[in-house]
Formats: sequence, structure tokens, C-alpha cells
Amino acid sequence: MKSGWGKTATGIIGAAAAALIAQGAAAQTLDDLAADKTTPGNILTYGMGYDQNRHSPLDQINTETVGKLVPIWSYSLVSDRGQESHPLIHEGVMYVTTHEATVALDAKSGRQLWKTMLEYPAETPRVACCGIVNRGAAILNGKIFRTTLDAHVVALDAKTGEEVWKTQSIDFRTGYSMTVAPLIADGVLIVGISGGEYGIRGYIEGYNPENGERLWRTYTIPEPGMPGGETWPEGDAWKNGGGPAWLTGTYDPELNTVYWGVGNAGPWNAGVRQGDNLYTGSMLALDPKSGSIKWHYQFTPNDPFDYDGTNELVLTEIDGRKVVMQANRNGFFYVLDREKGDLIAANHFVDRVDWATSVDLTTGKPNQTETAAKARSGEQVEFWPSAFGGKNWSPMSFNPTTGLAYANTLNIGMNYKAVEPQYRAGVFYFGAEFSWSWPEGDRGHLRAIDPMTGKSKWTAGSAIPRFAGVLSTDGGLVFTGAQSGEFEVFNAESGEKLWEFQTGSGVVGQPVTWEMDGKQYVTVLNGGGAVYVLFSGDERLAQFPPGGAVWTFALGGN
Amino acid sequence: MKAAVPFLAWLAIFLSPAAFADEAAKKGASVYKQFCSHCHGLNMVNPGTGSYDLRKFPGDQKERFVESVMKGRGDMPAWGDILYPEELEAVWYYVITQNGTKLAPAGKQSRLETPQTSTASELIVSDTLTVCLPRNGGIMSGARHKGGTGFDYDVSRLLADKLGLSLETTWYEGELEEESDPVRDVYALLAHGLCDIAPGYALYENALGDPPSARAALPRWHDRPKNLPSGHQVDLQAISASRPYGRIEMGVVLAAKHGEKEINQLNDLQGLKVGIEQGTLAGVLTVKQAPRPVVASAVTYPPGPGFLWKMENGLFDAALISLPAYDFHRRQNPITSLRLSTYRHPISFNIGVAMLARNSELLTRVDNALSTLLDDGSIDLATQNSRTHVASPSPPFIRPALTLSDIVAERRIAR
Repeated sequence: MKSGWGKTATGIIGAAAAALIAQGAAAQTLDDLAADKTTPGNILTYGMGYDQNRHSPLDQINTETVGKLVPIWSYSLVSDRGQESHPLIHEGVMYVTTHEATVALDAKSGRQLWKTMLEYPAETPRVACCGIVNRGAAILNGKIFRTTLDAHVVALDAKTGEEVWKTQSIDFRTGYSMTVAPLIADGVLIVGISGGEYGIRGYIEGYNPENGERLWRTYTIPEPGMPGGETWPEGDAWKNGGGPAWLTGTYDPELNTVYWGVGNAGPWNAGVRQGDNLYTGSMLALDPKSGSIKWHYQFTPNDPFDYDGTNELVLTEIDGRKVVMQANRNGFFYVLDREKGDLIAANHFVDRVDWATSVDLTTGKPNQTETAAKARSGEQVEFWPSAFGGKNWSPMSFNPTTGLAYANTLNIGMNYKAVEPQYRAGVFYFGAEFSWSWPEGDRGHLRAIDPMTGKSKWTAGSAIPRFAGVLSTDGGLVFTGAQSGEFEVFNAESGEKLWEFQTGSGVVGQPVTWEMDGKQYVTVLNGGGAVYVLFSGDERLAQFPPGGAVWTFALGGN
Repeated sequence: MKAAVPFLAWLAIFLSPAAFADEAAKKGASVYKQFCSHCHGLNMVNPGTGSYDLRKFPGDQKERFVESVMKGRGDMPAWGDILYPEELEAVWYYVITQNGTKLAPAGKQSRLETPQTSTASELIVSDTLTVCLPRNGGIMSGARHKGGTGFDYDVSRLLADKLGLSLETTWYEGELEEESDPVRDVYALLAHGLCDIAPGYALYENALGDPPSARAALPRWHDRPKNLPSGHQVDLQAISASRPYGRIEMGVVLAAKHGEKEINQLNDLQGLKVGIEQGTLAGVLTVKQAPRPVVASAVTYPPGPGFLWKMENGLFDAALISLPAYDFHRRQNPITSLRLSTYRHPISFNIGVAMLARNSELLTRVDNALSTLLDDGSIDLATQNSRTHVASPSPPFIRPALTLSDIVAERRIAR
């Protein structure tokens, strides 16, 4: 560049402009992330848009053409862990994560461009309660960002896969881990910690995406003396009070607010931590630059049921009101005003909800039952939904045209008794004895839910419950997968199954759709495993081996 | 010496083998759930696709099991650094009996290779008395940068001097948690040739003579070789014990506001909020022998130094506790407001020095030395110096095992 010093002003400006353009071609900006929903050629955000609607305007694959859907390519992930990663696509390159690798693929052919392995201490899986998984990457300015099981945040060069920076969030040994796909909001890389079953004190963090410097950490459990600290008993309960934040939050660029769900309180035995236990079982509205809490709403106060409030927070407008929605583990479908946090609706979305009959829309407090009181007092109780929830982590889609949310819901109960907890760093901290209570028939249903009433327009049951994410499209379709290996497509209006393909291993991933050169593609990871396989003891799954792969489908023929 | 007789140990004292097995399975179930369930499934039920189906684990391949658990295997992480030996035993029992629903395959448990370090010579290092003591034995023993502290350590020094030997100490991890078994620890340490004697050993019939099991896991000790797998088991040998040099009693500790209350029996705890030290003999005796309303309103806390601190902080008013535990608390908190009442529970244990039964010559020498030390007041002085409430030994020197009736009713035991 030295020769450039002597050049004219125009020449210098021209060089600078060229540099900018070059960068623009190789990278993406915050504006690109904000526009993700309306640019189906790229998938730049977890949930296919900052609003996490997982709904695409693409309609080449539709109720008429879906019969011609065929696999285009498959790519082995060389992993027998559950595959839950949300693929990203930028300019023809697909980025996928597993617990031990990040890969870049040519989106059209499935050919590997690079693969970067991660190394973490062999003891790390000890602190992963519910599967050795990773839920995906984030992208900005030519870098790919991800979290690791041993609680690090990593940036890779999107072109080469080389590590740009790696920052340790916390020492994993006492029960902390990370599986979350990061969120980039207002230029800040935001992640949340896992470990609600290990006596952690949960938090959400913001990093500088350029250099990995930590900008802020907001604990989900306030210390004594801070606002919310009064909802914990005197003593040390708050220090091991749980409150993980293990699923990706949602961003509203207009309000410049990040919405992030907070998980269960720990130990499960709620008797040892009397009080509401903020901000466990809650959602937080955060300022992305500072991490400060603008407002909160608590779904499940003094939670004895492992009712995480982490499920995806979906943004839309209902009757002209900007709202945020969540189908909570606790069996209620919540709709809140996302400017102020006022509760608009909260209704059961599964058939049996034992812990609360309703939620008071004025106070926002649940009207809890005798069962909930007994569970807290240490009596043996059976309650539905179980700790798996009315819906687990598998994200739902929301179709703004039909106004329906499509979600894989669960029909499982739990036998439960709180017992004296014994804290020991790095191992489970339950304080409860429990077993499952199974229904006669289907253990799960794909539902088309009206957010305002919680009622289902249709349901599609399955004996082994579905744990995959859901994708909906303007083609009138709903895509999801089964733990028995089928990638499935349903009619969004009727719930009729229109198409399926056996992928060879359980599908617990997150389907996405995109287009290139005028063709619509659908991509999903298969690879059975994770929480249901590990915890349910459902021996029917013995017929469906693990083994992860990326599958991409499109319409065949001409 | 333990501050209290731990859970499995006292169970072993008086439960039938079948009931003991049942308790062992329960313990195993609890360990399994905390450490194993999130990969191998609740109650070991899993599809067998992602992780090993432990219901199929061969009951005669204990070595393989121990290897995999302690060192890891394939995707499975190693647990050797945080799983205690007795937890490994419990979870192995749980796995091979399938949660206590099946009989353990008799005599088929494969054996680990045992390094035979014990030799025929009476002292493991010539001219040196090597003693095993818990590193963390509270008022009774504690490792220091150089040497040690505590009543049992002081007695060891007196003994070594009297025998004309230098003293070496093998510090091992005692009280790792309430379920550890001090009897098996001592059997294993002596059998492995880690020391000549183990002072502070509770003298009751079941804890002496032939070992309680053919094999047991070694506790951790300072200088333990890195390549020795955690939970490594050794063949046990018969042990015998010297004459007693002290006696451990249990008494009632009262909060300051009730410090003047006269306690003559556990019945006098009426009207007090009582704390129960979980998993200890004192705790069990409280539950079984204190008046029902007292037990109904009692609060239970884990054993260890934190227990009396909770009382200090006003969480309860009174507790039956072994005196060394109180002594240790008093050392940690010299301005304690807690008061030890004059009441002593009728059950107590003499303590003596354990060694391998075949070392009969050493036994005679130790017995003679202890007699001299007791007669010339040296041991009394050690008691005063260490500020313990260790009592003088009283007959019978070796007490019979506790029976169920000892546990359920507070009564004076004929001596």
C-alpha cells in the first residue's frame, strides 16, 4: 500500500470504496441479519428471521407439488449424538454445527468446503444433562460464531474455518455448559448458559464479535439486595438456584430489545427455596448493548416441576399489537405485549395441565392447584405435563397468514416426590425422585395452535413423540421430523400428512428452507438422540439407530 | 477416628445381610441417578442405541466396569476424580443386581490384580512406626504441612517414642461423605501395607477379626500413585486391635438460651427444637429414641462441621452428637455459645489401635506401651492438650455389635 500514499484523493477514495465492496461481498451486515426473513436465498439467523417465525414465503414446494420432493444430497456428520443444529446459509455456503465440529458445505452439492474440529476435555459430557448437542451458529462480518459444550464462545473465519478467537465463558467443571446458537443483536454476540440441573447460577452474556471480549453478563438470578433478590430465601439458595438460558433469544430491532427465556430453578425441590425465585421460569426483555433488564415476566413462580421458560420466543403482531409468544413447558401458551410485558393471553395448549387452572391476566400470576402445593410440600404427586413439558425445546413455527403456531407437543406425565437435595459440584442436583407416567396412546402431537386461545385447529399424533423443530411455508405446508427417522410434510390447513422420507436415523433437528437459482430447497439434520432418547427409556427407539447427517431436498424432475 | 459412625457402617453393624443388600441397592440407585442416568437412562432403561445398555453388563466383569467408569471409555467420560470408591461399589452392586431385583452372581466377580506389598516382616519400614490416620479427622487427627495434629496423632507419637521407633504417617481421606465406611477403609489400608497400625479404631465385635468382605476399595491417601485406578480393590485380611486407650461418647449439645436445661435422658428434649445429624449413629438414635413430638418437629441436616454451625445460627436448639464433633466445633469457634450438657448417651465405643492379626508380636508391644502410657498419665495429658472429651476406656473393651433393641430404646447397657 505504500505506493498509494502519493496518489490523488480520488484514488484513495476509490481504493477505500473497493475495499468496502469486497467486504460486502464476503460478509454480511446487521442490516442483512434484520432482513433475513425477507431474503430466502440466505438463512442468517436462528429461526429464519429475527422474529423466530420459522416461516418462509417460498411456495415452489406446495400442497400440489410436494409429492415430487426428493433428496438432493446427504452429508455425514460422523456423529452418533443427537443432531439439533439449525443450518445457516450465506451466498451458497451452508454452515452446520455438531458438538465437536463446525462444517461449511457447498449448499447446492453438499460438498464439504471446510471442517473445523473442536477439542474439549473428556469430562465435559458429565455436565451435559440432556444430550451432547449444539444448536447452531451465528454469522456476521465474515465470521461464524458458536458455543462449545465446555462453555467457550468461538469465532471462525467463514471462508477458511480457521479460529479467529475463542473465549472461555466459565469453568465447565461445576456444571456449566453451552449448547445455544448465539444471537447477534445490535452488533453484540449474545449467548446463554446451560446447566439448570447442576446447581449453577444462570446467566446471559454479550460479547464483542470482533475480538471475543465479554461486554456484559446478566445473571438470571439476582444476588441479595438487587431487584428480585427478595424472591429468594435468606441463605445461599440463590447461588445454586439454576436459571439457565440455554435457548437462543429473539430480537426486535425496532424496539432494540432482546427477549430471552430463563430455565428452571434448582434444585427441583422448591421447598428449599421459598419465594418466587426470579428470574427462573421467566422471560427477560434485555437491552442488547448493556444486558440490562428492561422488564420481565415470570411464567412459573417457585417452580418445582422443571418447567424451563427457555422455549423460543416468537414475535408477531396480533390485532395491531406487537406481541411475543411462547408455548411454555408448563402447558400454557403465552401471548405478551412485547413493548411493556403486559400479559394478553395464557391458555392451555395441551390436554392436561395439572399445576395451574388459569393465569390471571391482570396480575400475570398463575392460579395454582392443590397438586402444585403438594409437589412443593414433598408429597408424592402425579402431574401433567411432565418435566419434558407440554412442549420441549423443539421450536415451533408461526404462519402469520393463517395466524397459527405449529408445534410438536408432548403428552407425558410424571410421578414426583421432592426429597432433600444434596449439592455436590458437577453432578445432578435434583432434590426429587421421579419417574414418567405414560399415556395409553400417542405420547406427542403436532398441533396447529391458535395463540390467543391455545386451542388446536388440528393435531397429528405419534406414538413416539416428535422432538424436531417445525417449519412452515407459504406453500401451505408444515415440515417436521419423527424420532423414527421420517422427515415429514403436513398440510398446514388440515394436518394431513402429505409426504415422508425415511432418513435412516431419528430426526430431532430444525428444518429450514431456502432458494437458489430459482429452486426451493429444504434442509434438515437427522441423527437421533438427546433428551427423550436418554431419559425416556423408550425401548421402541432401539429400532432407530443414531448417526447424524445433513439432508437436503428439492422437487425432482422438471 | 470418625466424628460419628457413618451410615453404611452402622447399618452393617446390626442389619441382616439381606437388609444390608437392600440398603446397598438403594445407595447404588441414588449414585446411578446422579452420575449415570442422563446417558444410560432412568433405571438403566434405554434403547441401547446411543449409550451402553447396562442391563446387559456381565456380572462377572467387574474389572471392565471399574475401568470404564473410572477412566472413561469411548464417548463416556471418566469419573475417577469425583466418584468415591464406595459409590463405585454401590453402583456396581446396583448394576449387577439390576436395582436389587436380581441376586449378585455369587463368586463370579472377577478380581483385580492386587500388588502384594505386605511382607512377612512386622514393620513395613524398619525402625519406623507407620500409622494410618484420616487427614481430615477433626479433633482426632489432621494432617499439617509438617507432622500432624489431634488426639490420635498425639497418641501415635507417644506410642512411637515408647517403642523406640520414628513415626511416619499415611494420611488418608476419611469422612469424604456420610456413607463412607471407616471399617473397610482400615481393613483395606492395613491389607495394602500402607501402615503398621491404625489408631482411633472403634472396638466392637463386627469390626474385628475376619474382614467384612473379601475385598474392599482403598480410600484415597496422600502420595497415592497416579496410575492406581480410583476405587482399586484389595484382598482384605483379618485384623486385631490393641487394648483401648480412650472411649468416644455421645452427648447432648444445647443452644445458649437452653444451656441451663437439665438433660438426664433423651426424653428431656421435650419442648426443644432438635437437630438431627443425618446418616450418623447419633442421628439415628435421636430419631428412634427421642419423644415422638420432638422427632416430628426436628430438622435434619447433613453431617460434618456445618451441622453445629447451623445450631450456632439458631436453626435448632439441641442435638445428640458424638463428643469429638462438638470438640472440633469448639476448636473452630472458641467463642461458641453452644453448651455441652452433662448427659451422656448409654451407647459408647472404646477406641484402640488396629493392625493385621498376623502381627501378633507388634500387638503385644503396642499393648504394653499403651498400658504404660495410660498408667503414667501421658494419655490423659494428650486428652487435655487436644481439648477433647475422650473418656477413659471402660469394659467391656470390645463391645458386642449393636442390636436393633439397642437402637430403638434408650437403655443402660450392662457393662
